[in-house]
This record gives sequence, structure tokens and C-alpha cells, in this order.
Amino acid sequence: MKMFNDSHLEVKKYFTGRFDTNPYEAGWADEAIFFIMVEKIKGEPVFTGQVQLSQDGVNWTDDGSSPVSFSGMGMHLIKVQPNFGNYLRLAVNIEGGEMFLNLHIACKG
Amino acid sequence: MSVDEILMRSRFNPLKNVLCYDVFDKGFNGWMTLMPNFTEYPDFDVPKTLVNKDQWPPVMLSSATYRYPGTHGSMSGTYSLKVSTRPIANPYVEKPAEGSMGHAIKRLSFFRPESRFLQLECWFSYTAEQDKVDGVDRPQPGLHENSIRDFGMGFDTQKNGNRFFTGMRYLNAVDGKLIQKWQYVHSTEGVTDKEWAYGLEGDWCKKGVDHWWFGRRYPNGDHDGYKDVPDGHQKLIYNETDCKLNWQYMRLKVDTLNRHYVEIQCQDRIWDMRGVEIDAVDPYNRIDNLINPVFWVSTDANRRVFLYIDSIVVSQE
Repeated sequence: MKMFNDSHLEVKKYFTGRFDTNPYEAGWADEAIFFIMVEKIKGEPVFTGQVQLSQDGVNWTDDGSSPVSFSGMGMHLIKVQPNFGNYLRLAVNIEGGEMFLNLHIACKG
Repeated sequence: MSVDEILMRSRFNPLKNVLCYDVFDKGFNGWMTLMPNFTEYPDFDVPKTLVNKDQWPPVMLSSATYRYPGTHGSMSGTYSLKVSTRPIANPYVEKPAEGSMGHAIKRLSFFRPESRFLQLECWFSYTAEQDKVDGVDRPQPGLHENSIRDFGMGFDTQKNGNRFFTGMRYLNAVDGKLIQKWQYVHSTEGVTDKEWAYGLEGDWCKKGVDHWWFGRRYPNGDHDGYKDVPDGHQKLIYNETDCKLNWQYMRLKVDTLNRHYVEIQCQDRIWDMRGVEIDAVDPYNRIDNLINPVFWVSTDANRRVFLYIDSIVVSQE
């Protein structure tokens, strides 16, 4: 039987501008999905997320995928490309307003 | 006898009835981060609080991988349970900064009417993040042992109409100064509920409840939620650099029937705590017979710190 785990990265908080999610270790997993629930908005915010990887949890680089952008309330997701190693984070930029986020990472492997 | 059972009996000293033997190379085993209560109108909002708990990072299965040596692994394989903080801290005497703590909890309950003793054991290690070298004005500026404020483990328990907290914490550093002594959970006599909450209004708060983030703190490391273990100074292994882990053992045994501590142990040192009372508060609704073992870690600097737990045994008799 495979293992599965979902962890919160941010819960019920307004965000705008640039931020990075806290480093998350997922070396045990074969797949990872960032689930981004937009619970409230102020203005007309657009969320852009770039998956980043790290060897040591300190120094980061883009994973080679294209950034993912979306707007509007409700559930959105960013699937992490295979072969992601261990340390994962999402580099986020929110422009045009604020988003009240419940941001999780779900892993399976 | 299976290899797992041989290892458990060799590495641990469980009481008669083992509730859990959790090896984190095999998964999370139900350990998770303590979160706020999502109970309020209009959209499962969080009750007003003095200490925001949703910034504590989630627990992770860590391979303990570092910049130069690579993967450290765990005592039992590759993965350990990592309890961690964000890179933010308030001065010791202030209430904890959002994200300055990490917390892991598992939710259990009493199951035998004659049960008296309750015990928590683990193999652990701890380190600070190798994020940056601090400067040239001191020896070993790339060694961050004094960034770790404290770590510990204990129980949140409710039994026979009493809610009580027990635990042992290693007070490692206060505002950058190494202290390195053991304390046990016990709230100071005469402290009011408001004083317990830093003199602030705006939270449900009872003296003795949630010592991790309540209870006044003093510049010398004293804390209204803890008392010093007699002769409790101990230098644990912090092996020359932040990217070396040595697995170490700790154990807490309490008497839940008479509400006394029994023993505290770390490495090969055992402290006899018999006769030391456990303070209690009025029970909460709907949680009688609750046993919640917990682990925690706090940072003393604007730097992440990590408590790694290889394996845990919770037992009773």
C-alpha cells in the first residue's frame, strides 16, 4: 500500500506580493501536488506559482517547469513535475490584490 | 520474536502495555502538527487568540539532508520525524513569535481501568539550519547550536476529572546564551490566569494549560510553566557542526493515577522524580481519558531549528 500525506503550508491568511512557502521535505514521495484554496479575495488578484527545488533546503532553483497562474476563488492546484528530489517549495507572486489562502502540499509514494 | 520487537526491546524500556511503537522510516504513524480549532462563523474561522498557531510548520518525514555531507538519514533507516520552526524568534521573555515553534502531536486514549503509569520514550537528535555564517567576531561563526532555544516532550492528559500537562524540556539557550539544563512541566503557584497569558486579554486561558506558548518567561531562563530538574544540567551531544546528528535517548514516566512524576531520563542519566506533584486544572468537556503525547522545539534566533525523532514508544501499566 502506498503512503499518502497532506500537510498545510499556509492556513487562513491574506497574502499579496512575493513570498516563498516554507521548505518541505518529500523525498519519500513519488508525486506531489500543491493545492491552493482561495477562500477570500480583495481586489482582482492573480496568483503565479513557480515550483522550486533544493539540494539542502537553503539554496533554491526553479524546477524547469513553467510558472502557473490563476485568479478567482475556489480550489486551484499546481502539480509538481516528476523527479523532484527532496526539498520542495512554491515561489509565489500575487499581483492586483490580496488572496486569503489555505495552501497545502499532498504527497504520495 | 520479530526483528522489530527485538529492536524495540533493545533500544527502549517499555512498560507492560505498548500503545505505540512508531518508527518514522515507515511513515508518519499519525503524528501531525497541532492546529487551531476551525469552528467559527462564517467559514470555519479560528477563535480569537493571543498566540497564532497556524504558522508552525507541518511535521515532515526528513532524510536530514545537508549542503556538504548530503543525507544523514535516521537511526532506523532514511527518515525521521522532523519538527521544525520558521526563521523567526522573539526575545525569550516575550510571547513566542508566530512560527518560532514546531509541535507534533498524536491523539490516543486510556484503555485499561487499572492503568497507573504512562511513559514516553524516543530516540532523537537536533540541529539548527546552516543558513548563513554569522560573522567573524566569534569562533566558529558557522556553528549555530545557540540558535536552539528548547525542545521537549510530554503528555496532555485528562483522567478522573482532571486535565494535566506533564513533560520534560531541554532549555538549551536563552537569547543566545547556552543554558543546557532539563526542566519539567509544572506551573508556578499563585500565578493568575491573566498573568499566565502575559497579562493580556483576548484568549481563553487557564494557568497550567498550554505551557508551550503561555506562562511568563524571565531573563535567566525561568518560566512560569516549568521548574528546574534538580541537578538537571546536562551537555547533550552537539557534534562540532550543524550537519552532524547523533541519535540520543530520552524517557518520561509519570503516574497518572496519583498525578506524580516518576522518572526523567536522557542518554544514560536518570532523574528520580518520585513525589513531584503534577498540577491539574478543571476538565474540558468531551475529552475524558485523553492521552496526547507531544513533542516540540523552539528557535532562539531568526533561523530554523529542527528536532528529529527516529522512533517513539508510548506505553502503560
